[in-house]
Amino acid sequence: MKKKVLLAPLDPVHDIGLKMIKRGLEQNGHDTLLMPPDYSQEEIIKAIVDNDVDVVLISRTLGYGVAEILGKFIDLAEAAGIRDKVKIGIGGMAIRPELAAELGFDAGFGPGTTVEEAVAFVEGREYVPSESGIKQNKKDITQGYDYSFRNKRIEKLLDTIVDGILDYTSNKTSTAILRAELRRQILDSTDESEKQKLRQEYARYCDDVVKSFYEAGKYREKTRPLTKDEVKALRGYVDDVNFRMNPIKLQHTDKNPAVFIQYGTGCPFMDIAHIKSCEAWGADGVVHFDPSWGARTEGFLEGYITHEEDGSIITYENLKSIKESLAPYTLWQVRAHRGLNTPETVLLAGKIGADLTKINIAYGSLSGGTDPARLTVDAVAAIKYAAEFGMPFDVVTNEELSGVPAFKAFAGMLIVSKLGLRLGGKPILQPLFCYSPEVMINGQMVDNYVDFNAAKIYCLRNIVNAPIWCGAPIGFLTQTEDRVQSSMMTALHASLASSLGVDAISIASSDEAFSKGPITAASRIDTLRATQASFRFFGHADITPTENAKKWAAEMEEGIEKVLEAVAKKGNFVDALYQGLLGSREDGAYPGRAGRNTVISKS
Amino acid sequence: MPDILEKVMDAVDVETYLVCKDEEEAERLSVELMEKLGFQDISIVFIQHQGPGARVRVRGYIYKPGDKYSWLFDQRK
Repeated sequence: MKKKVLLAPLDPVHDIGLKMIKRGLEQNGHDTLLMPPDYSQEEIIKAIVDNDVDVVLISRTLGYGVAEILGKFIDLAEAAGIRDKVKIGIGGMAIRPELAAELGFDAGFGPGTTVEEAVAFVEGREYVPSESGIKQNKKDITQGYDYSFRNKRIEKLLDTIVDGILDYTSNKTSTAILRAELRRQILDSTDESEKQKLRQEYARYCDDVVKSFYEAGKYREKTRPLTKDEVKALRGYVDDVNFRMNPIKLQHTDKNPAVFIQYGTGCPFMDIAHIKSCEAWGADGVVHFDPSWGARTEGFLEGYITHEEDGSIITYENLKSIKESLAPYTLWQVRAHRGLNTPETVLLAGKIGADLTKINIAYGSLSGGTDPARLTVDAVAAIKYAAEFGMPFDVVTNEELSGVPAFKAFAGMLIVSKLGLRLGGKPILQPLFCYSPEVMINGQMVDNYVDFNAAKIYCLRNIVNAPIWCGAPIGFLTQTEDRVQSSMMTALHASLASSLGVDAISIASSDEAFSKGPITAASRIDTLRATQASFRFFGHADITPTENAKKWAAEMEEGIEKVLEAVAKKGNFVDALYQGLLGSREDGAYPGRAGRNTVISKS
Repeated sequence: MPDILEKVMDAVDVETYLVCKDEEEAERLSVELMEKLGFQDISIVFIQHQGPGARVRVRGYIYKPGDKYSWLFDQRK
């Protein structure tokens, strides 16, 4: 119902808040009357009577004598006989709801009050925060993409290469695949004696350090089991924190991408503490980092295990405790893009309910240290698990950090993506937004960090209609140990990604370049705050790259096509990896040795 | 450890500007500052000397991953 509202500043100057509320009320169809500043209380009361208003909104910014002045205003309203007829609200910097109630106002609005709250008061309804300001749903990064190829020549080459990969892997398996199958049986079994037998069989396929855990209960050095008291305390901590969660939203417009943070402090419980802090400060998703030794060790441990070095150990229990701590709207990714446990990682992630995983044969075998043949066989099994559990997976081009040029890394990314599509998966392209060795040497970022990153997105969009998630983290190698510079670089890369319309980004903490100790929670909040500020600054405005971006995008696409031609001509993807077609020793890529000669022929 | 430090999730960063002649002196002063404040596990996160002094960020770890965190236990107190 339409209301007549008088807005009056009880100050010598205007409160900007009243003007904003006036606009909001008019947009909602109400009549408003805004009084000039510096009128006496008696003059305001007279205006209320003369104009026969329904609601009065008073503002008071100055704190001096506020209680006396406002108390007198209510007395005057009662004396004039309007107190029972007119709703009176008071707001401003000097106001607190408790004070307003004490003095007899119908409502008090302190600092931070929104226009919507004031409108709700006028309309006599309960204020419900707008959906744009609160987090409710997980974003589906793959939504709206049909994976149609615009570059048909590239699509045809990819199909040829994928045919070769599926043919190569069809009669091969590995201990990792066997372990994943056993892990599934262990998890599905309800019979403890059967589980024990399965564990014994599982241990047969593991390295000695894992075998000795299952056979003799020994823990690897620098690891320890978390105690029952710690596990119990964690549950209490998470419950208490969840009760008081009221997360910030980082995005200012609907074009801003989902923002992921990366965790892996070594301790799953410290991870959870950091995750909850990041959720509160607006992170949309979190990415699990495992230890580098874990990627080179055959087999997983069991139980709640903490670790004194970077990377948090993957066990069913550790992942489960992290999953159970997450807010319902938080996206969760478990990386499986390198290493000797790729299928089991994806299986565990899927079983526990992860939203996303990460798989890339080219990176994992050229810069991640795993043998190309082994990882190719394992990755096919891993992608099948990802498809089974409905988990999209990103294909990150981290080999760029070793020196592999973007066009070669992208060729590898597209091959694995096409393989994923063929196996029923949903791949997400993950180009790096980074100051890579390639550009350091060739000078594409001498002038700015915009053009080459923009070229990557233009190039990929020219090839295929697929989701893009810039990684990982954005701005890699542009950040220094100075937290202001570091946060600024992250925020600007975030806004560049947003301007280019990508779907998600992974951001670093402001400790990104600090390597002498663990990352702190405060440094994570630095970059979340900076990203939010940058999104606010640019809104729907775009960053405009120079003409170089389109030129370099075309060159990249041409380069990708040539690489794919060479791989297709080679006739064997694994041989192409060994021989450097997707990243050579000269580039800085070395075929990994972990798991060499461990592929098992099914025949 | 004083109780208040048990409420720190992981580390305390001290940021300031030290009047000193070069980066070497700034490093020494930064460590001295943190020791004087009672921190034991100290890391210099950022230090840059320009002209009159150095902008520094020094960290005192209270808890590192793998430690027992007091704040994990006292939520319901």
